[in-house]
Amino acid sequence: MNNRTDIRPGSTMERVNANLARRYAKERRFRRMGMGAIIISLLFLTLLFSSIISNGYSAFWQTSIQLEIHFKAETLDPDGSRDPGLLSAADYSSLVKGALRGIFPEVKKRKERRKLYALVSSGAAFRLRKMVMSNPDLIGSTARIWLPADDDVDMLVKGYIDRDKPEAERRMKDFQIAWLERLQREGRIEKRFNTTFFTAGDSREPELAGIYGAVMGSVFTLLITLALSFPIGVAAAIYLEEFAPVNRFTDFIEVNINNLAAVPSIVFGLLGLAVFINFFGLPRSVPLVGGLVLTLMTLPTIIITSRAALKSVPPSIREAALGIGASRMQTVFHHVLPQALPGMLTGAIIGMAQALGETAPLLMIGMVAFIVDIPAGMMDPATALPVQIYLWADSPERAFVERTSAAIMVLLTFLMAMNAVAVILRKRFEKRW
Amino acid sequence: MQTLIKQQSTIGAADRRTVGRVTVENPRIRCRNVHVYYGEKRAINGVTLDIGRNEVIAMIGPSGCGKSTFLRCLNRMNDAIDGCRVTGDILLDGQDIYDKRLDVVPLRAQVGIVFQKPNPFPKSIYENVAYGPRIHGLTSTRSELDEVVELSLQKAGLWDEVKDRLNQPGTGLSGGQQQRLCIARTIAVGPEVILMDEPCSALDPIATARVEALIDELREHYSIVIVTHSMQQAARLSQRTAYFHLGDLIEVGMTNQIFTNPRHRLTEDYITGRFG
Amino acid sequence: MNKITEGHTVKRFDEEMLFLHRLVLQIGSLAQDQLRRAIQTLNDKDPTAARGVISRDQALNDLDVQADEAFINLIIKRQPMAKDLREIITISKAVSDLERVGDEARKIAQLTIQIYDTDNSPPNKQVLRDINTMAAFVGDMLEISLTAFDELDAPKALDVIRLDSELEEEYRSALRRLTTFVIEDARTIGHMVDVVLGLRALERIGGHAKNIAGYVLFLITGSDVRHKSLERIEGQII
Repeated sequence: MNNRTDIRPGSTMERVNANLARRYAKERRFRRMGMGAIIISLLFLTLLFSSIISNGYSAFWQTSIQLEIHFKAETLDPDGSRDPGLLSAADYSSLVKGALRGIFPEVKKRKERRKLYALVSSGAAFRLRKMVMSNPDLIGSTARIWLPADDDVDMLVKGYIDRDKPEAERRMKDFQIAWLERLQREGRIEKRFNTTFFTAGDSREPELAGIYGAVMGSVFTLLITLALSFPIGVAAAIYLEEFAPVNRFTDFIEVNINNLAAVPSIVFGLLGLAVFINFFGLPRSVPLVGGLVLTLMTLPTIIITSRAALKSVPPSIREAALGIGASRMQTVFHHVLPQALPGMLTGAIIGMAQALGETAPLLMIGMVAFIVDIPAGMMDPATALPVQIYLWADSPERAFVERTSAAIMVLLTFLMAMNAVAVILRKRFEKRW
Repeated sequence: MQTLIKQQSTIGAADRRTVGRVTVENPRIRCRNVHVYYGEKRAINGVTLDIGRNEVIAMIGPSGCGKSTFLRCLNRMNDAIDGCRVTGDILLDGQDIYDKRLDVVPLRAQVGIVFQKPNPFPKSIYENVAYGPRIHGLTSTRSELDEVVELSLQKAGLWDEVKDRLNQPGTGLSGGQQQRLCIARTIAVGPEVILMDEPCSALDPIATARVEALIDELREHYSIVIVTHSMQQAARLSQRTAYFHLGDLIEVGMTNQIFTNPRHRLTEDYITGRFG
Repeated sequence: MNKITEGHTVKRFDEEMLFLHRLVLQIGSLAQDQLRRAIQTLNDKDPTAARGVISRDQALNDLDVQADEAFINLIIKRQPMAKDLREIITISKAVSDLERVGDEARKIAQLTIQIYDTDNSPPNKQVLRDINTMAAFVGDMLEISLTAFDELDAPKALDVIRLDSELEEEYRSALRRLTTFVIEDARTIGHMVDVVLGLRALERIGGHAKNIAGYVLFLITGSDVRHKSLERIEGQII
């Protein structure tokens, strides 16, 4: 027997020791590679978050300009009738223009005047009208009011417009900058919290655009998705897992559910367009259709995760229940389902999160339209949060860049909240056993 | 060299005929020529066996010999397995349990089963025992149910240990207690026969001894069929012993006889540790 | 079929069983040897050798103790079942019977000392011839029963049981002859008690051989053959 193949007790220690260093080195290498992978992914994550946050945080503040508005009775309510129809049709922008002229009396040229009026957002008139409509007693009085500045002013104040560039290449001319500097000196310019962003619908004017409409669209869409996909998905999973006989037909169904989960989401959008809109004649751009399409998309996910949750319930529990004479139905509903529910809920919430982030199928059914009104129900035209992000990302105005990032932050917050809920639910339910 | 018992060295068809008396007077369960198939595979090959009243009958045999499969036929637990087919007659008190018209739910109330691994429901101790009576509608009032739970736990020798914590989860008990809880759960439905599939294989010796003592007491009221890998356990607990080998019932006999003087060569080889 | 001690999944079990089996044969041959030597001392009128026989009995006792330990160990470790169980019980009983055979041989050696160590005149030749005949007879019985044990030979074991009734006959006629001698010549009476005791010892050895044969039959058939008629035993085996 030669030395290599000798395995008598005590004869191998030397060779074991010789290999030991190599073995440990291998393990250390593997550990370092794993750590490296985690560090790289964390790095990318921080990169993503920091770029989004640094781009988007400023959108939560909006530059406002303080003006002395004189609510002139002759402009707003010449006959003193306080008729709401007349009040709402009155020319409020002239009040803003008047106030601006009062501050800058030296500006006389028509062209310059137009530039001057453009410092204040076109939404300022709407704000004033709203104030008057809710409190007609304002008419005749004078008040100092903070009004939203135009997006270009906002950009300049936030420092996104480079003042060192040649005048021809920037959106703000030198004289406009001079006006602003004067306003700033007088303390008439301030950055205030941007409530519009959270309470308004979409708008062509960045300073007037908000995500509320998109959020409501998403909420309605997800409500429909959840209401349809969770019961259908869970029922399908229970039937397939617990009751269906194993044969070619159920195998076929199982394979196809797995296939559906892998179908690109845009295809579901096309399907929704063809079936719900063209065939059933449902209106375009409504959360109902969006919810139906997203239901189709999340159903496979929910079925698969629910089946996995059912499968993970130990068979001994089933046997125990069957063994003392519970029917299959009782076994499933008294013992298996309560055990599987946390897993199913997690699956459903993850499916919902997926649906929340989905854009492509909604594009196909017209939820990409420019919709200013806040949707009030399932049948109102709406858009969804990710689609809103897509729309803003496409807009040329510099101010929409920060709003896009801000909207992404809101979307991510929702997603994280949903995942947190999934975790909490799972923990809570597991504790019951 | 002499042979102890005259036999051929290979196992022919003749050697698979069951040796020993398979019938008893006034049996609780009467099995006649039972075959079980899993798909194409034959798991049980023509077993004929009676199970008496108030007796413990032990089933022994190497792994995969079909003893558990046979046990599960007796309350149709095999129904849940896809592709499992049972032929032949199994009569419980004269009633064919594989009759198409027979409902499996009351059958399982009559023929209870205790499994290898203690498997209490992830509910309270009380709920574990109360579940059976509740689904079968055995009690109408809460106090009746309380009584059934207490009686079952007492019969299972667990009452004194758990009476102060009936609302705590059954899964929090020790392994042996869990197994006795499972027995209590089975008793609570008032079965006539209790099937036990290696009930002590997951327990330590002390817990095993307690469960064995319990089985010995239960014999007074129930017919007990126990599958076990421990020959000592079979010898301690049972009055009759059946030896299975590759789906055949090789030998049945009084336990004393099986363990001192088995008639079949395969039985002998198995119980003396000469198998394989 | 393998030998009874072989074929266990646990090979060590085989070895332990074989060890015990051989121990029985060893004790058996030692007992046989003791018997042979005791008779020899009687024939050689050699009390010194007889003392040797007596002191050698201790070796037999030691082996007996050793065998007891071995099978207690085996029961603890292996919990033998079925034929293993029967083999163990047979061994334990056979060993104690063989140890008694040794005791009886010692008694015969003491007889030599009794007769030849004192001034008494030696006994009648005829009397000693009876002892020799019976000794040869029980020696055969012992030999056959041990062979039956070693080879699990039921017919041989049955032979021993049959021989035992012949031995009874032989014993009774030897006693009758002794009575005749005593009546003829009253002087011989001095040794007669000793000789009767010697014959009695040999008769007991035959009994032990028969017991061993009985255990062997139990080992082979699995049923107890003691206290049963020969015909029923034969019926059971064939």
